[in-house]
Amino acid sequence: MPKVEIKNLKKYFGDLQVLKDINLEVDEGEVICVIGPSGSGKSTMLRCINALEEATSGTIIVDGNEITGEPANINIYRRDIGMVFQQFNLFPHMTVMENITFAPVSLKILTKEEARKTALRLLKRVGLEEKVDAYPGQLSGGQKQRVAIARALAMNPDVMLFDEPTSALDPEMVGEVLNVMKKLAQEGMTMIVVTHEMGFAREVSNRVIFIDEGYIVEQGSPEELFGRPQNERTINFLNMIL
Amino acid sequence: MGFFELLAQTYPQLLLGLWITVESTLISLIIAAFLGLLFGLMSVSKKKVARGIARVYVDIIRGTPIIVQAFFIYFGITSALGIRMTPLVAGIVALSLNAGAYSAEIFRGGIQAIARGQMEAARSLGLPYSMAMRKVILPQAVRTMLPSLVNQCIITLKDSSIMSVIGLADLTFTGKIIIANNLESFKMWLMVGILYFIVISLLSYASKVLERRMSYAKG
Repeated sequence: MPKVEIKNLKKYFGDLQVLKDINLEVDEGEVICVIGPSGSGKSTMLRCINALEEATSGTIIVDGNEITGEPANINIYRRDIGMVFQQFNLFPHMTVMENITFAPVSLKILTKEEARKTALRLLKRVGLEEKVDAYPGQLSGGQKQRVAIARALAMNPDVMLFDEPTSALDPEMVGEVLNVMKKLAQEGMTMIVVTHEMGFAREVSNRVIFIDEGYIVEQGSPEELFGRPQNERTINFLNMIL
Repeated sequence: MGFFELLAQTYPQLLLGLWITVESTLISLIIAAFLGLLFGLMSVSKKKVARGIARVYVDIIRGTPIIVQAFFIYFGITSALGIRMTPLVAGIVALSLNAGAYSAEIFRGGIQAIARGQMEAARSLGLPYSMAMRKVILPQAVRTMLPSLVNQCIITLKDSSIMSVIGLADLTFTGKIIIANNLESFKMWLMVGILYFIVISLLSYASKVLERRMSYAKG
């Protein structure tokens, strides 16, 4: 059974149809990179997977649970779907420790003590254990994003969604975030990454998906998609950015 | 009679009036805080009906003078329903409803000013809307709202003087009564003004201390 299954997904914003017919299956442990021009619908697709955007029609199933159709248990399902945002969205009124422990403790998944231990372990993993008592305002962009990844991992998710995680970063900080993501991929996390980092897509992903104008135009292994793109639109896009 | 002689003679009465002013203002502000939070939350709700109700309430209060609201509550509602209401109760109802509507707008603005990403981040972790609102959005919103809320407290304190027209025995009302006896308009209104000024200055000072204590490293 695929970890994430998207069938005939369509999404309108008012009269504007952003997703026209998206079909995608992601297996456990797969790392998918989603590329495409801005406005192509790639972020919207990602946001539909944890119902931050409501699908207009179609079904999305994550780990056997149907996300679409406003399920009553959406808050439970979301616990298993981690999300990392372009703008980090750390909680500025909480320390790094509180940012990470807040959700598992508030939702009574972990005790305070367990959550602290988990947070310290995760901070070590993202290389920020010395920032445990800092506030987000005292961190650089790259550090914020690594804390955001740790925060998402604290819920012990089955799938991680990354929405252009390095697009708001200064160039010298992109590497530290990508390294954390690479490690995560190597440990077998199922990941869907919307990104403009073609180097990362090429090196880390199992499959690259090219979205344009609301359709998945082409997909394949990085070697196939970057080496021998078939569709004219894919070729044009890759020529523009590479 | 000299200013201080007059003060020595009238201060027991003035302090009593000041107490009524402070008391009615405080009670009204507490009620208004609840109203403001409730209607503020309704006005950012996804539900159309809730938004509509909040809109109507705020528009009615904003669209009519507070003195008319006071008369309507003290004379209008009491006569229509055949009930009795003391000026204190009527004054508190009018002030609460008034400050509640303006606070609702402050809450709405404060909540909307917190980036949408904060709500999305909280929801993406599996938090229900109400918990995300309570623990992520409101603590941040209240910080940004603090200056506006203090301003509203000051406005309500001053508006309480308008309740003297329905017979609330506040500081302004007391001043009027004293002047009716001793005809010392200049000195008495000066005294009343100074008393208001002192209370409001204390309030402003307290809010600055509070604001400093609630600040955190921004980013």
